Amino acid sequence: MLEQETRELLLSARDRAAASGVRATFVLHREKSHLMRIGNNSVSLNTSEELTRLDVRVIDGRREGTHTSLGHLTGREYVDEALAIAAAKAKVAVPKDYEPIQECVEENIDEADQDDPALAGLDPSVKSGIYAEVIDALGKNYNFSGSWSSGRTEIYLVSTCNSNEACHSGTDQRFTVVLKHPEKKWELQNEQTGWKAVDVKADEAISALGSLLPVYEGTAGVRNEPGLYTLLLGPAAVAELMLYALWTGAQGRMYEEKIGWTAGMKIGDRVFSESISVVDDPGDDLTFRFGFDRAGRRRRPFPVIDGGNLAGLMYDLGTAAKYGRAQTGHTLESTSMSIAAGNGPENPMDAIKGLGKVLVIPALHYMNLPNMSKGIITGSSRFCATIAMDGVVTAPIFSTRLTDSFRNIFGDVAAVSPRRVSVNLSSTYGRRAPVAAGVPSYMVCRNVRMTDCADSF
Amino acid sequence: MELLERMKAGISRNISRMAGEGAEYSDARFFADDRSENLVLYDGNLEANDTTFQTGTGVRVLWGGAWGFSASSDPDKLDACFDQALANARTASRLVSVPLRMGRAAPIHGSYSSPVVTDPFSVPLEEKLEFLMGIDKALKEDWIARRAIAAGFMRRTVLFMNSDGSEIVKNTTNVFADMIIMALDVDGMMQRRSMTLFTTGRGTRGWEMLCVPELFCGHADRIKSELSALLSADRLEYGRRSVILLPGQGHLQVHETIGHPLELDRILGYELSFAGGSFVTLDSIGSLKYGSEKLSVSSYGGIENSPGTFGYDDDGTPEKDYRLIDKGILVNVLSSRAMVNEANDRAGRTVLAGSGGAARATAFYRAPIDRMTNVNILPGSDGSLEDIVSSTKNGLLLDNPTSWSIGSNREHFHFGCEIAWEIIDGRRTRILRNPTYQGHTLEFYNSLSAVGDESTWVVCQVDNCGKGEPNQVMQLGHGVPVVRFDDVITGERS
Repeated sequence: MLEQETRELLLSARDRAAASGVRATFVLHREKSHLMRIGNNSVSLNTSEELTRLDVRVIDGRREGTHTSLGHLTGREYVDEALAIAAAKAKVAVPKDYEPIQECVEENIDEADQDDPALAGLDPSVKSGIYAEVIDALGKNYNFSGSWSSGRTEIYLVSTCNSNEACHSGTDQRFTVVLKHPEKKWELQNEQTGWKAVDVKADEAISALGSLLPVYEGTAGVRNEPGLYTLLLGPAAVAELMLYALWTGAQGRMYEEKIGWTAGMKIGDRVFSESISVVDDPGDDLTFRFGFDRAGRRRRPFPVIDGGNLAGLMYDLGTAAKYGRAQTGHTLESTSMSIAAGNGPENPMDAIKGLGKVLVIPALHYMNLPNMSKGIITGSSRFCATIAMDGVVTAPIFSTRLTDSFRNIFGDVAAVSPRRVSVNLSSTYGRRAPVAAGVPSYMVCRNVRMTDCADSF
Repeated sequence: MELLERMKAGISRNISRMAGEGAEYSDARFFADDRSENLVLYDGNLEANDTTFQTGTGVRVLWGGAWGFSASSDPDKLDACFDQALANARTASRLVSVPLRMGRAAPIHGSYSSPVVTDPFSVPLEEKLEFLMGIDKALKEDWIARRAIAAGFMRRTVLFMNSDGSEIVKNTTNVFADMIIMALDVDGMMQRRSMTLFTTGRGTRGWEMLCVPELFCGHADRIKSELSALLSADRLEYGRRSVILLPGQGHLQVHETIGHPLELDRILGYELSFAGGSFVTLDSIGSLKYGSEKLSVSSYGGIENSPGTFGYDDDGTPEKDYRLIDKGILVNVLSSRAMVNEANDRAGRTVLAGSGGAARATAFYRAPIDRMTNVNILPGSDGSLEDIVSSTKNGLLLDNPTSWSIGSNREHFHFGCEIAWEIIDGRRTRILRNPTYQGHTLEFYNSLSAVGDESTWVVCQVDNCGKGEPNQVMQLGHGVPVVRFDDVITGERS
């Protein structure tokens, strides 16, 4: 739980607001962040930030206003000023044509299941030491870059709705290292994630990058003509494609407003191959677990895709209010996306034996949606992308563009890995917001449309 | 003012202290006041009525050829903030193969203020909402499914001091606005048309920008009419043809395939693990034929009322006006002090004469990186939009992006747009839905066959350029004319 002094500041502000008839919600977001960047075999940035944000939302009938203060939480005046600003904004706001719902903490929650003090206080020299180990092991003739973000996030939520308090404390980290050949320009990457200090291992990076060096050093890059291909997608590619698919197809607002690709469908309709099931599962330890959402709802496992069928739509506070639906605990920056393992072979190369030419694409770069209504996504291959013939990697491939619909990509799935791994999907725009997905370590998708290929990596 | 003076004295004392600790360079940015306001009227409902106020100090220390950075909101922790940045630099210096150098620069005592008639934070919220509601009323029709009008305001006062002895105070103000309407087409697919506040490059950049109908609100009827036509329009068929980009689309093409690949930190490999690299190399500077002779591009910090104009960058370098591409040849890049020194060291010669003044940080709690300022295609001599249309045999006229996806080294791209007008034999024939085009950057710019004159040149504002780790969202501008490229892949293979 938050330290007593800060907690009392917020509880007393809440009580004063309630006593004066103001419907207010207070969210304290506190982060202790550290990030080390590597460029050209050197530490290029070593940065520490300790930031506290106070969000206040006030509902005044059908009007509302919000205010955020990022600063030094000095005392009662600081909180009262934020409340006064939000209240003043609400007072003159345009009234909505629907009844806003106030955040309401469902039950007292004080969670720190994924909080590792060792990670929160990780000495930056540990990070530079691991990067040095990787560089020494693989050779200084290559160009290494990367980043390692780690930190602790605390979120504390109370509202005048009731006297409950919700408090979350968790640690997270994301480690990446990129090995680039200085002349041939190809790039290999290893990424590791987790919430414990011990989750990042130099050996794993050395092994992952080292295993691909022979094919990259020994074979020229291949340019692929546009056409339909079988893809062996790695976990990062699967996670990001599915995240976009759910954002545009399984969010209540996208559905209600007929913007997303599931508009016109109904629960139970087939959308993907039957081998795909997705649950938003805040209990999945491969994700960063949040037991409550920003509206104070207790989060529970929520099936989204079940055996390829659309199983549920996620409603946040605002969408639920506007369209008269029940909230589903999804007033968050993200979900805890958990994609079920399959019954494919353990070794991904075994999964593509007999399938002829397969593009192995571990990750996709810079995706976007040229047609949201049709669920068409585009993005290009980047790190570690290769071509395999009957289960044997034969050559690296140049940057190759995929442009196809989610239903095509996930509609003809030949194999899903029996093993699940964690993929970090956090964005560090603005406040620290750790997000991870639990996904199969590979997925084999047939007849996927590749639309362009560069002449270089 | 009392806090500002106290911080000034504290920063000065700490910079001296860092020098005593052996730091090669140090600086601090104290954000005395950094506020933003975000208003969104969605289907007539005020869905965002937000303000954010933030204050704090960001400190950089260069020690042993390595950067350490630290930030804090607590003014009483200034000494600790410097100590943390120094400790971070010392740790970083243990793994350095290319020592960073800032070099020496003459101290600058200066200030910059955005030209503003009416501070947007002095305008009552009621007046702002009345303005948005007026546009909403103009956009509302039974057949329009969704309407969104957004306005964003930013104002910040920043004190910058560094170990060169520079002391700079910046007061910057930005105003952004968008309107978007959506409706279902004959196939049940959502189509959209939008308009973003732009500038002519001249004038002020306060609330008064919104009061010029030609720059924003006067376009409501036009986008309604165009959306209406889109709903029953034919779909674009795949094929190679010319594309004419209106500034609403052209500015993003410039942003993604000229601006980003010319950021020197990307060229030097410092963004590989996230944003990506660049196909441009140091050897390219002065020789690479980036585009046809019609392509001249500048980085110009002097545009009066662009968000890419800020007086001095976060290294303390004054903004400059210089060519990036001259008649098709790459001649310079977007740069900061340390990156320029490294580039020259690596090249073993002077490839860059000095910093381009492009070190920028989005907030006190982020370290500066190389960013775009105002990256502009200079006006050409091919006349007006109609002149360019009339000289086009088979092409598309494209406006406003719906989707953009770029290769990791910016070597290839794919864009989706809101609307296309087909052009056959110099005449606009029909409107087409869901237009897309793709290409390879150098091939594309070398196919540039027409550049509009000054009558077609406007400054488009970008309020959401993302880059870096931790990620930073930056504001900037692009002055662009109407441009035409030939033999471009358009549409998707069926």
